[in-house]
Amino acid sequence: MIWSRLSRKINLLPSLKNLRAAPFEFSEARGDLQLANFSNRRTLHGYRRLADFNDGKTAHGYRRSLVSQFNLASTSRSFDASSSLIGFRRLYVTQTATERKSNKILIYLTALVFAMVGATYAAVPLYRRFCQATGYGGTVQRRESVEEKIARHAKDGTTTERELVVQFNADVADGMQWKFIPTQREVRVKPGESALAFYMAENCSSAPITGVSTYNVTPMKAAIYFNKIQCFCFEEQRLLPGEQIDMPVFFYIDPEFETDPKMDGINNIILSYTFFKVRDD
Amino acid sequence: MSAGGAFGGNRGLRPVPPEKGIFPLDHMHECDLEKKAYVTCLKSSGYQSERCRQFSKKYLECRMERDVVFKFKFSAGEFSALGSGWSGIQSKHKS
Repeated sequence: MIWSRLSRKINLLPSLKNLRAAPFEFSEARGDLQLANFSNRRTLHGYRRLADFNDGKTAHGYRRSLVSQFNLASTSRSFDASSSLIGFRRLYVTQTATERKSNKILIYLTALVFAMVGATYAAVPLYRRFCQATGYGGTVQRRESVEEKIARHAKDGTTTERELVVQFNADVADGMQWKFIPTQREVRVKPGESALAFYMAENCSSAPITGVSTYNVTPMKAAIYFNKIQCFCFEEQRLLPGEQIDMPVFFYIDPEFETDPKMDGINNIILSYTFFKVRDD
Repeated sequence: MSAGGAFGGNRGLRPVPPEKGIFPLDHMHECDLEKKAYVTCLKSSGYQSERCRQFSKKYLECRMERDVVFKFKFSAGEFSALGSGWSGIQSKHKS
């Protein structure tokens, strides 16, 4: 309630200045009424009371405490209790109304800030789920396993005609002394047929190097139909110095690829592997 | 890993691991001949995977014979309908 305290002080400042000029003048003006009562409160109860007012939690509470203080002030000084009370209360009603409005706005804005921050945190799992459901951005969907898919297509007797060219790409991270190339540049395969492909990696350095690989399928939207049955990715592969090894990849393209209208212009799929060095040597 | 995507564009979400998991590599080069046969077949037949199916089948059989882990992983599922012609491997090595 610092805001309410501040607003009150700002409002009272000019009126307090007037008070010094004529301390106990009792005029009909609403502003002066407030002043007179304020000064009375101070002289009667001291500044400590003023502090109590400002600690009031709600504007309504403030009003209530103010009114009670007022009762004491008016009776001891034998003012016209009702008129002073009403005047004072009415003046403070308008003030607290605007105060309350600004407090409400403050609360709304703070809640909005927290809501935005919460939405930012919630966005991560939500986006992931959205991508898995729609396959947006190349996410490979996991609705049924490859075996089930294969069994289903075999049962349905789906035949495929389009021939796709699957090209292979191999990359090595910077500073890694491996020679990593695909053994064959491409493989022509029809959707629904599984195919085998090889990569060759050789450690050209004089120390054993452990590497881990990751892959990517382009174009992104075809990735949902590209199923890998077996590969060498995501596991650390250790090569001794001078060792050469063949790495097989066994994959399968979903026959549903043919029926999807979005895949009409796609005849080339590129499977790209990248090897990264593992820190501990 | 978010690598493998145009910078500032669609990155593509994390790649999904393969169905059957990671397969052990042929460090002992026991099935090199089968692999070479397969690759030469591919090169000669214009990279048609259909025509070289028996070579890849031979390679897989070789691996399954030599490598216990490979055999275990491969025959752990139902590969009976893995396209035309794979059922042979499955029935032979399912034990």
